[in-house]
Amino acid sequence: MARLRSPSRKTWSSLLFNGIMILILLVAMAPIALTVVISFKDQQDTIRKPPVLFPCDTATDPFDWGACRWAVEGYERVLAPEPSDSLLGFRLAGKMFRIYIPNTLLYASVTAVGVTILAGMSGFAFSRYRFRGRGLLMAAILAITGVPLLTNILALYQMGVILRKSPFPFNDRVFLIVVYLGFFLPLSVWIAKGFFDTIPRDLEEAALIDGASPIGALRHVTMPAALPGLTAIFLLTFVNVWNEFLAGYLLVSRNELKPVMFGLYDFLGANIINLQVIAAACILLALPMVVIFLFARRAFFMAMVEGAVKG
Amino acid sequence: MAQTLRRRKKSSRTYKWLPFWLIAPTIVVLLIVQVYPALYTVWLSAHEREPQGWVAVGFDNFRRIFGTSLFRESVGHTVVFLIGYVVITLILGYVVAQILSRKLLLSGFYLTLLFIPWILADILAGIVFRLLVIPDYGVLSGILGDPNLFPPRGLSILTASRPSPWIGEFPFPPSPAMIYLILAAAWRGLPFITLLLLAALQTIPSEVTESARIDGADGWKITRHITVPLILPTMVVALFSLMLGGMNGVGMVFSLTGGGPGTTTHVLSYHLYTLGWTRLRFGQAAALALMIAVVNWLLIAGTMRLTRVDERTA
Repeated sequence: MARLRSPSRKTWSSLLFNGIMILILLVAMAPIALTVVISFKDQQDTIRKPPVLFPCDTATDPFDWGACRWAVEGYERVLAPEPSDSLLGFRLAGKMFRIYIPNTLLYASVTAVGVTILAGMSGFAFSRYRFRGRGLLMAAILAITGVPLLTNILALYQMGVILRKSPFPFNDRVFLIVVYLGFFLPLSVWIAKGFFDTIPRDLEEAALIDGASPIGALRHVTMPAALPGLTAIFLLTFVNVWNEFLAGYLLVSRNELKPVMFGLYDFLGANIINLQVIAAACILLALPMVVIFLFARRAFFMAMVEGAVKG
Repeated sequence: MAQTLRRRKKSSRTYKWLPFWLIAPTIVVLLIVQVYPALYTVWLSAHEREPQGWVAVGFDNFRRIFGTSLFRESVGHTVVFLIGYVVITLILGYVVAQILSRKLLLSGFYLTLLFIPWILADILAGIVFRLLVIPDYGVLSGILGDPNLFPPRGLSILTASRPSPWIGEFPFPPSPAMIYLILAAAWRGLPFITLLLLAALQTIPSEVTESARIDGADGWKITRHITVPLILPTMVVALFSLMLGGMNGVGMVFSLTGGGPGTTTHVLSYHLYTLGWTRLRFGQAAALALMIAVVNWLLIAGTMRLTRVDERTA
């Protein structure tokens, strides 16, 4: 009797838990889904009173699929494509694509490369060598990992002000990249160390016995094995820099050097009544990061668990 | 022969210093961007910028901060925000982690979808939530503005004034904007906490819960006496990380409420920004930064104790 009942109870509980999970996900996805819907409305439908969820109502029918007035006006106003004699036949004249996205691509890629190299080097050293002060240094780096940007931003701003006045050749872009480097490096050192710990030392030792130099063993044996981990660090840093707002907003003096999240914030002020334009800008700026995450989610989860949880 | 010996000696000396050279660049960057600014903040907190330059003022900056009612109010708002944010995120995170740890067919898919809010920038997430409740035109404004649901005149989150406080000046009950801010922040913080707790749950051997079940313990008893005690350290780490993020995250306040309506979402992190960049009282802002930093350091130290750093550095 009990044996007969238990599988059906299992099915029921599985159904129940799947149901709860789907409900939670529907709620969690709702803000994003609504933003997508808003981004495809046209101006008239975003300033209706009372607001309508879907721009699909007619005089007689509150919801009619055939009558939906979908528009890409919001995207057009963000991108502002302009005919030109370039390869594609048009160029994107919107400020977002002309100024802010190129800025952020520069900051994010240079920072991510720098963090990957530096974290790879020190993570390797912490994983493979035992030297005096090692434990203390690692604990110090772990402590710094937790320090948020907010409490240091004043001093960094003031450093920028002083350096700008000094004869020292100061460059806002370099300054911002160095700040990003310092803020995203500590976590990555720990992640890198964790990844190197999982690569067996025997591999390197075998290469050393075969006559390779330590650097050669590092280049030809350890690095290829560590590549997935280093890729995870690169992507995580790239996404972090892309999403960063405060330092980009406050530490850079001229607007045309500021990164993309400032661009979005600026955009909000300029288009506060054009909801479809803001929504389209949000979607356009979030989409690349979501795509990176979906393709590399295993690496992200691995890096996060490696860096934050392992007790 | 002598030459090879010398070369070997030289190379062994190089490799003795190799770990140092590998770590040195990291240390230099961290000294410039993390350590020096932290010390500089201490110096700034004891000075104020006057027309003639920086003047030493001792502890005056702290005295001036404590003297303003806006600071006391911000502390209250921060406390209310942190309690709401931490409680909601931890409970929801635990529930979702429990469900996902049952190895449902689609657990991986659920976790991936759930993580999308986390990948969005805080400022972008704030804008997304703001779009939904923009007065009159936001999609949710229509529902919330219904006088039948929220008498007498319906609710407009971004403009509704603060309910009168229950306890003296303490900003409780929170304004609708604060509740909305808490929900938005929890929405973004949930995935990470879920992942943290899920990883902890998966370390509990199934024999433990299985044998308890055979001994007659029901689901609630297992949760109360086995699961929660076993993952308690991770719960506390999650709690500290939520507090750290909640106290220092300013992007969402920026884009969602801008501290308003009035000052009902004016939290400490936002107070720091306004002190520094709208009132240009840099010394006072530095003093506030120092106070926040002290709390941060306590949270970090607690986390490090719990995650047993000495074992991890092995």
